[in-house]
Amino acid sequence: MAGQTLEIKRSSAAMWGTHTGIRSTPTVAKYIDTTTCIGCKACEAACQEWNDLGTVETEQTGTYQTLPKLDAKFWNLIRFNEREVDGGLMWMMRKDQCMHCAEPGCLEACPAPGAIVQYGNGIVDVDPSKCIGCGYCATGCPFDVPKFHVKSGKMAKCTLCVDRVEVGLEPACVKACPTGCLNFGTKDDMVALGDARVKQLKTSGFNDAMLYDPKGVGGTSVVTVLGHGHPEWYDLPVDPNVPVLVRLWKSVIRPVGVLAALVTAIGTFAHYTKYGPIEPPSDGESGDHPN
Amino acid sequence: MTTMAHGQTEHEIAAGRARENVITGASIVRHRRSSRLIHWSVAATFFLALLSGMPIWSPLFGWMASLLGGMEVCRWLHPYAGSLFFILSTVQFFHWLGDMRLTKGDRSWFGPKAFKYMHHEEFGADPGKYNGGQKLFFWAVTLGAIGLLLSGLIMWFPLYFPQMIRELAILLHDITFILFLVAVITHIYLGTAAEPGTFRAMTRGTVTRAWARLHHPGWFQEVTGEEARKR
Repeated sequence: MAGQTLEIKRSSAAMWGTHTGIRSTPTVAKYIDTTTCIGCKACEAACQEWNDLGTVETEQTGTYQTLPKLDAKFWNLIRFNEREVDGGLMWMMRKDQCMHCAEPGCLEACPAPGAIVQYGNGIVDVDPSKCIGCGYCATGCPFDVPKFHVKSGKMAKCTLCVDRVEVGLEPACVKACPTGCLNFGTKDDMVALGDARVKQLKTSGFNDAMLYDPKGVGGTSVVTVLGHGHPEWYDLPVDPNVPVLVRLWKSVIRPVGVLAALVTAIGTFAHYTKYGPIEPPSDGESGDHPN
Repeated sequence: MTTMAHGQTEHEIAAGRARENVITGASIVRHRRSSRLIHWSVAATFFLALLSGMPIWSPLFGWMASLLGGMEVCRWLHPYAGSLFFILSTVQFFHWLGDMRLTKGDRSWFGPKAFKYMHHEEFGADPGKYNGGQKLFFWAVTLGAIGLLLSGLIMWFPLYFPQMIRELAILLHDITFILFLVAVITHIYLGTAAEPGTFRAMTRGTVTRAWARLHHPGWFQEVTGEEARKR
């Protein structure tokens, strides 16, 4: 698995994880400006190439979109959404991939220890040697990102090019982008870039431009400038968060269940030591053979 | 209701165990062979499902995964063990359904009498072959098996179901399992340490007259024709 030199901040199904809390590494982020994206798909090709994903068969859905959704062999997808806005036709093209949430729902839901990890720099990655292909991560993710390989059943998604990032390179998609609408750096720097761009857009008639960095998942290591303040127009959830029931299974139901099982087991032992068994009387009348 | 004379051959005793609620030698056959085979098949698949499911449920039980070959094996095995458990439980359900209708006498079991029983003070209103608690366990595991199967199928093929159904399925599976585990621990305790003479009923099939007289006086009377308690 890539990311060998990075410390793991958080790990799926772990008691305490491996985080030492000693190093403080800055969180990285990818910056996407949908207002300057031209939909050339250089980023799609770069991702396929860098990650040796091979080619996928495209599916015509009535737009330029390559596939209807992400795939285990297609981690980066330009979504095309057309909409009439203020009497004009707008093409909203948005680069869709894993959002690398600060509080990853996939990681929280995953039952296999260490199958999903979050590095100190915020990147969320899958270890296929530990993935059991159960699909819980797909239920935990509010962005419908995790996809499963047909043959192995294992989950695969954008790694934010952790193997490039850990040696000081920018992600493949960022390198390939011809318009400069993709950028990479520390989260703070990318947010500053985004805020500046939103401010600029607002002076150019995009009155409700916004920087999409949802707080419901603790913020994301992918920040997206949206020209219109309607995430749902870009197939984005408006206020995503880790599903309540996922949090409930892990932090409430499971400990309660373990406790209930322990109490019952210990309780039966305690009952036995106090009351003992109910022995039928050996009054001689039965004269039983132990058959 | 047949009584056989003492001094039967081993062959005759074994044949007696093929039928139940009869006396063989000095014991009473409580569970015939088919009942015992069905029960143990259900128990075996239950434990296979439990050992493969608990490591997935919590890393605290990761050690159980080692017994089966690791987490990936658990993920693969669990739905098959669970499905087989359900099929066998269905067979078991129809096998015992006739004995499990709740009677008026059973109702006294749900309430303060149950606690008195736990404190060895009170043995219920002359239970027949199965007392109210046992019947309750039967119905509880029936519902539990259905709950586990439905939620389990959704968890086996999650991508065919919408988000909320998936979330609720995992919740239902978790809660049903926990209740099941509590019930089964109790069932095992009551069938072994708490009540000597009971376990052999499900292995050899027979119980002693004294056991029957004590625990199921109504059944004892039906089978032997004798009064259970000297009043």
